[in-house]
Amino acid sequence: MSVWSRFVSQHPTRIVFGKELRDAIRDKRSVMAAMSYAFFGPLLMAVAFFFMITQLTDPSDVEIDIKGAEHAPAFVDYLAQRGIVERSKPWPAGQHPITLTIDENWANHIAQAQQAPVTLTADFSSTKQRSDIRRIETALEGYSQQIAYIRLQMRGIDPRVISPIDVVKQDTATKGSRSALIMGSAMIFILMSVFFSGMNVAIDISAGERERNSLELLLSQPLTTQQMVLGKALAASCFAMAGGLLSVVLIPWVFRLLPLHEIGISVVITTADMCLMIAMLLPLALLATALQLFVSFRAKSFKEAQTYISFVLMLPMMVVFGVEFTNTKNPLLYYTPVTGQHQALLDIIKGEAIQWLPLVISSLVTLLLGWIILRFIGRMLASEKVVFGL
Amino acid sequence: MIEVNELRKQFGKVTALDGLSFTAPEGKITGLLGPNGAGKTTCLRTIYGLLKADSGQALIDGVDASIEPLAARRKIGIFPDKFGLYERLTAREQVAYFASLHGMTRADASVAVQQVFERLDMLAIADRRATGFSQGQRMKVALAQAIVHRPQHLILDEPSRGLDVMSTRILRDLLRELRQQGTSILFSSHVMQEVAALCDQVVVVAKGKVVAQGTTEELCALTGETALEEAFVKIIGTDEGIAA
Repeated sequence: MSVWSRFVSQHPTRIVFGKELRDAIRDKRSVMAAMSYAFFGPLLMAVAFFFMITQLTDPSDVEIDIKGAEHAPAFVDYLAQRGIVERSKPWPAGQHPITLTIDENWANHIAQAQQAPVTLTADFSSTKQRSDIRRIETALEGYSQQIAYIRLQMRGIDPRVISPIDVVKQDTATKGSRSALIMGSAMIFILMSVFFSGMNVAIDISAGERERNSLELLLSQPLTTQQMVLGKALAASCFAMAGGLLSVVLIPWVFRLLPLHEIGISVVITTADMCLMIAMLLPLALLATALQLFVSFRAKSFKEAQTYISFVLMLPMMVVFGVEFTNTKNPLLYYTPVTGQHQALLDIIKGEAIQWLPLVISSLVTLLLGWIILRFIGRMLASEKVVFGL
Repeated sequence: MIEVNELRKQFGKVTALDGLSFTAPEGKITGLLGPNGAGKTTCLRTIYGLLKADSGQALIDGVDASIEPLAARRKIGIFPDKFGLYERLTAREQVAYFASLHGMTRADASVAVQQVFERLDMLAIADRRATGFSQGQRMKVALAQAIVHRPQHLILDEPSRGLDVMSTRILRDLLRELRQQGTSILFSSHVMQEVAALCDQVVVVAKGKVVAQGTTEELCALTGETALEEAFVKIIGTDEGIAA
């Protein structure tokens, strides 16, 4: 055995790490907790997306009440071509009826080039029916414009005079960026997996150690509190990483099963992308563990630690969800822990170029922050006030 | 040798140690006898550097744990007040963990663990996980943890609390054997019979101070009593009288 390998195998940090890892792997509760989040998260997401896709691609007609259809058969035909048809079934409870009323003098008005009144009655504040109402309005405008063009042409006027601005819409949304919203939430799952998966182990090796009455004896052994904390943190980080790994592998697999192409989304996650994701979760796993150890070393029991940790979990969740839903775009987000990884994950998934420098910086900042917290826990445990709860 | 010189320790308004001094020489069993709350555990925790004394010092072979905690801790084996075991580890893994924390290589540790298990007659439970161990079996694991690295000093905090007759006998036999080998043994207790049966010298502690010191016979002679129990009550009682 070389000097180096002997040093490593006998280093207190490695000894603590090895023991804690073995202990944790035998703890079915910890293993289940780590794996279930990583496993059920993607599954839950798959179900939610599946429903979203079926709703988005819903090709069914808008069924409404049409009063006075007999006065304007051509108009009603036009509407039917646009998927707006007369309703045969009664309206379901709780849904406001949408009614289109055509005036009995429709034919006269059209013939005399007058305005033909059509009344659209609906609850315009209803979010559920918003897209239906929008479709009807678009169809009405379309028909109105068609008639107008014919009238102008009959009078020898170029219909273009009434549309002085020719709006040309160029959709620059790539398939990748359209999928960003869906992917954004998937990335939150990946990000949070490192926070959830190591949690049980982190509690067990800190508050659990205290509850079992073994903390005092361990602290009385010839190792520094820093070595002990680092060994424990690395063991819990392994669990956090195992969860992260599992969700990085499972989520792209879930995407492949979903009919995402139906809503014009394509996701290509290469093996290289997955390796990069895993690499950037590493510092985050250490930070997550450090935060969890910090609170649970202060707790006197497993239960107390669980309560504290649930607050700690809220923190990264709030940050990530906040950024995701407020659509905050600040270059600083690329450099800070948690958000830095989040932005990089989003860039990968959108197929955009990765900003390497910010990614490296945010990884280093994350590592540094984790390290500082671990050093602080080490100092904290050297204090008799914390150890004996004086 | 363990030397305690003029230790003082204050927790808020409570004085836990009030100028405590004694020595625990090699090849002797020293009993720290005192009622609950006398400062015994505080004293032991100060010796291995978990607590810092306000003044005074505790030396293990001349090493002060408040200055060089790791060096001091390498010299001692600790049998704690409450011994929590790692329920998911086997007895062998548990004891090997402590052996390696004391710097033993894996090979050395496994030999040492085997020897200590033979000595304590616990080979039958060596590869079982700690869940479901009886109190006696737990005590043996804790004891094996404390002596696996063959320390020159052994510190035991209330060792016989909650032990059955058989376990107590095993413990006493082992302590006598270690004394033979020149280990200095310091143990705290509030059980008189225990101390009388084992100790070469008794340090009676009350309110953080040494109130009497000597062999069992010397203490009895000091108080004019024939049994240590009576002597103990008299010593403590007198002390309380003075304090009040």
